[in-house]
Amino acid sequence: MDVSNLLAAQASKFQSVTVEKDTPLDVDAGFLTVTDHNPIDEDSYRSNLEEYLKSTARDGIQALVAALYVLPTESSVDGSFAKLPPPTTQLPRAKPLPKPKPLTKWEKFAAAKGIQKKRRDKKIWDEEKQEWVNRWGRDGKNKEKEDQWIHEVKANADVDFDPAQEARNERKSRVAKNERQRLQNLARAQAAQSEREQRKEELEKTLAATRTSTASMGKFDKKLEGDKKIRGVKRKFDPTEVSAEKEKQASLAVLSQLDGDAKRAKIEKGTGDDVVNVRKAIRAVSKGKGGVALGREVSKRSKDSGKSKRGKR
Amino acid sequence: MRPLTEEESKAVFTKLANYIGKNLVHLIDRNDEPYCFRLHKDKVYYASEANMRLSISVARPNLISLGTCFGKFSKSGKFKLHVTALDYLAQYAKYKIWIKPNGEMPFLYGNHVLKAHLGRITEDTPEHQGVVVFNMNDIPLGFGVTARSTVDTRKLDPTAIIAFHQADVGEYLRDEDTLV
Repeated sequence: MDVSNLLAAQASKFQSVTVEKDTPLDVDAGFLTVTDHNPIDEDSYRSNLEEYLKSTARDGIQALVAALYVLPTESSVDGSFAKLPPPTTQLPRAKPLPKPKPLTKWEKFAAAKGIQKKRRDKKIWDEEKQEWVNRWGRDGKNKEKEDQWIHEVKANADVDFDPAQEARNERKSRVAKNERQRLQNLARAQAAQSEREQRKEELEKTLAATRTSTASMGKFDKKLEGDKKIRGVKRKFDPTEVSAEKEKQASLAVLSQLDGDAKRAKIEKGTGDDVVNVRKAIRAVSKGKGGVALGREVSKRSKDSGKSKRGKR
Repeated sequence: MRPLTEEESKAVFTKLANYIGKNLVHLIDRNDEPYCFRLHKDKVYYASEANMRLSISVARPNLISLGTCFGKFSKSGKFKLHVTALDYLAQYAKYKIWIKPNGEMPFLYGNHVLKAHLGRITEDTPEHQGVVVFNMNDIPLGFGVTARSTVDTRKLDPTAIIAFHQADVGEYLRDEDTLV
């Protein structure tokens, strides 16, 4: 029996699952994308547009689905899932490349000398404690000299020489030096901005100021051609809907900051701590008569006791 | 409607702390329900989170009020407490003044508190301290700022001002149209 006829009839009912094209279709399963690079067949495109588009779309989908069925699958309660591979299509970058940062003085020097940057760990091994300690910061190794309980002092040292204080001063001066250098680097980077750019910026600022310096804040001025609208600084606010917990923490942070400010102001004013309410204490001791009466009483008492002593003698 | 910026929260909290001191924490960190501060048309509202979330769906021009209005920001960025905040202030007030029945009406018409009308005062109240004013039946009438400390008030004559008027419940009638 010849079944080739039957098979052919069956096959004609369903289109083939493999897509044959002159240029093979470009399938990127990661993005679920198919790109068809084949040239458009002009005749069928002109004669029957809908049919042509449908058939190309069908070929694309078929290729994509075929690619998906090849992928490894995971079965779960909701059915089986195909694991998409990482996408192969290169998408263009959304933002421009970041501008290179201006080099610091040291970085310039290091580049010239070919010095490689070495990462220094924040932790350092302490032989005595037998553990890793911070190089700086809390309980840092750089504060070791200030905290040690005994110091070696030279024989010719001053009487008021304080080795711990000396070490602290040295460390503080190192910190200050670093900060100074950082600021200098910043200033240098600022100066590196070209003269022309700076001048332009300055001009724009002046222009913006003059434009709003009329009686109507520039509202009724004659508009010049090419004048751009002045844009101010956009204010930015937190979203209205944040989690209550987060908001509470922010509020409490503001509150604690305020507390700190108040305390500092109090200390500067010199009202001292509020452990003892001095006025209340005086009133309690003097039984409501006040500090002056209490002072009189005390002096009288002392006089009395003096008299009695003299009397005894 | 939006949450307060850090600067605004500072202004609000310092003003509130003047009246309720450390109790301010109880307003922020409540046990019953999370509450939050919201700014809407320069006014600061104190509302439960559930209320706030409901009011998000109301368009800005249509939203009249939510929760409790605590006060408003002036154009220069200063915060002024409104009498509507009185309930919370009275609940947590640190320093209080009670005024005699004959002083109630003058205070409710927006006058300062005179020595003659003073019934009781929290002891050790410092000068220029925010105080909540009560009548002798412990009903909050408004709030103000002390002119003198408790000790100094003893020596004053009866017509001297004890506390400067800030807000009183009479405003609910007098400023009915501008209050909300």
